[in-house]
This record gives sequence, C-alpha cells and structure tokens, in this order.
Amino acid sequence: MKKLFKNDAFQFLSLSVVITLFIYALNVSKGMIIAKTVYLTFFEVLDIIIAVSIFIGLFQVWVKPATIVKLLGKGSGLKGFILVCTFPILMGGSLFTVFPLLKTLKDKGARTGAIASFITAWGGKAPLLPLETKFLGWPFALVRLGFVVIFAFIMGLLMDWVGEKPTKLA
Amino acid sequence: MRAGTIYLLIALVLLGLSLLKEKQRTKEAIRATVKIFYVVMPVLIFVFVLMGLIQAYISRETIAAILGQKSGILGIISAEIVGCIALFMPPAVFPFGGYLLKNGASYGSIAGFVFTAILIGITTLPLEFKLLGKRFTIFRNIFTFILAFFIALLMEVILR
Repeated sequence: MKKLFKNDAFQFLSLSVVITLFIYALNVSKGMIIAKTVYLTFFEVLDIIIAVSIFIGLFQVWVKPATIVKLLGKGSGLKGFILVCTFPILMGGSLFTVFPLLKTLKDKGARTGAIASFITAWGGKAPLLPLETKFLGWPFALVRLGFVVIFAFIMGLLMDWVGEKPTKLA
Repeated sequence: MRAGTIYLLIALVLLGLSLLKEKQRTKEAIRATVKIFYVVMPVLIFVFVLMGLIQAYISRETIAAILGQKSGILGIISAEIVGCIALFMPPAVFPFGGYLLKNGASYGSIAGFVFTAILIGITTLPLEFKLLGKRFTIFRNIFTFILAFFIALLMEVILR
C-alpha cells in the first residue's frame, strides 16, 4: 500500500481525480468543463502518444548511450561541433535522463561548450514532432527546429567562453 | 486519415523492421515503449486537468492580456518563467502550449514557454549541480533564459 502511494503514476492520476471531483463539488458545470477537456484531449492525443513512445523506445535500444558517446567524442573540431548541435535533436527523454549521459561525455573529456550545445540541441525534440505539429502547427515546429541548431551553436560558444576555469578568490 | 493514425502506422512499420533485424532488441524496445507510455500518460492527464481548470476559471481575455501579442516583451518573459517552474515533461509541453495559443497567447510567448519548459527545470537543478558542476549549471541556465528570449522574439516576428 505504501508503495502504491509513492508511485508517480498513481500520484498524478489520483491528484487529477481529486481536483476534478473537488471542482465538480463546488460547481457542477465547471467540473464538467474539466472532465470534457480531459476526455476530448485524451482521445485526441492517444495514438500520437503511442507512436511517440514507440519512436523513443526504438531509438533507445538501437542507439545506446555508449554509441552516442563514441559518435560525439569530445565534440571538438568543426565536424564534432556540428554533430553535437544537431544529432541530439533526434533523442527522447527528459533532463533527468540526459544529465547522466552528459556526465559520461564530460568524464570522457568533452568541452564545456559541447555539453551545453548537446543539451540545447536535445531540446529540439524531433521524436515529439507529431505532438508539436498537431498542437502548434508545422510552421512553428520547423522554425523552432531551425532556431534550435543556431541556439545550440551560440550556447556552445558562450559556454566555452565562460569555461570551467578554477575560480580565484581575490 | 488522421495524422495520429499515420504516425502510428509508421511506428508499427519501424517496429516490424526492428523485429526482422533482431528479436531480442525489439523486445527491449517494446518494454521501453510501455514504460515511457506508463510514465508519460498520467502526467499528460494531469496537464489536461490543468488545461480544464484554466478553461473553467480563466477567460481568453486574461490569457491574451498576459501572453498575447499586445503583452510584447513582458509576455515572453512571463511565459519563460512559467516554463521554468512548470513541472512538465517534454511531451506535455506541446498540448499545453497549443492550448494557450488557441486561447490568445502569441507565438513568441509560446516559443519562450516551450524552450524553458524543456531546457530549464527547477526540479532538475540539483541533479545538474551534482553532475555537471555549479558554474556550468548557473551559466547554462542564465544563457538559456536569455537566448530563448531573443529566439522567441524572432519567432514572433517571423510567425505573426
């Protein structure tokens, strides 16, 4: 029982139900608006979410972290830099899964800028394109994707500039 | 045909190809897929409830006033701050962004929100500190916030 309450999925679902019921008790019509929004949006995205989960699952088993580390190396040189600004766009996951991977890259000697570029490019989120285009449209998604590469590039330059210097106190 | 159906078909074809190539890995992929779905769906449902709450209590005019075109620079900055503190995982960012867009938010605000929601997380700060260092974390988050602002501004000009 204790385990159940610590379960994230259970927490989010029960919180959702509690909020909806609470509002419904306060004001029936407002409660119905929430229920309707959840119901309609759920069926609107269900197939997309399944598809996206499959894309990310396949990517995870076919492109292992070790492969990524080997491919990107230290992220130095123009080729490495370009790769580090584009390749992570294809990856899924959340910041929680990306930071440990970056730690490995860092330990292998990747530059500060390369790591920062990697995170920023990862924000491109190509596996989520089905969702992004559905809700924000193709023009938004494509323009954003283009800017992500530029964003990652500038980020790398800036972070290399501030670097990991030993901080001297006075 | 619905776009979702097409994506699903593509995903299934890829899954089939993977199965032809290597059975064991495909099993792993399916297990990963189920896990991702199981982690993401409850959060999405929670976000849908939030969308319903906004729908029920906050008028279109209010959203437009805070995040709409007329809110300009301040609108983008507010949206970025919301993105920083929102505990959304990436898949939840787009439905919520789309919802705000439909209700009067500007493209610039949505872009600012999307960038910070994905790239800056209050909850992941301690992990970033620990794994990548204090200096890195501070500079990365500040630069991300500033650059996201300018890109959001450009996107507003381009897409408007």
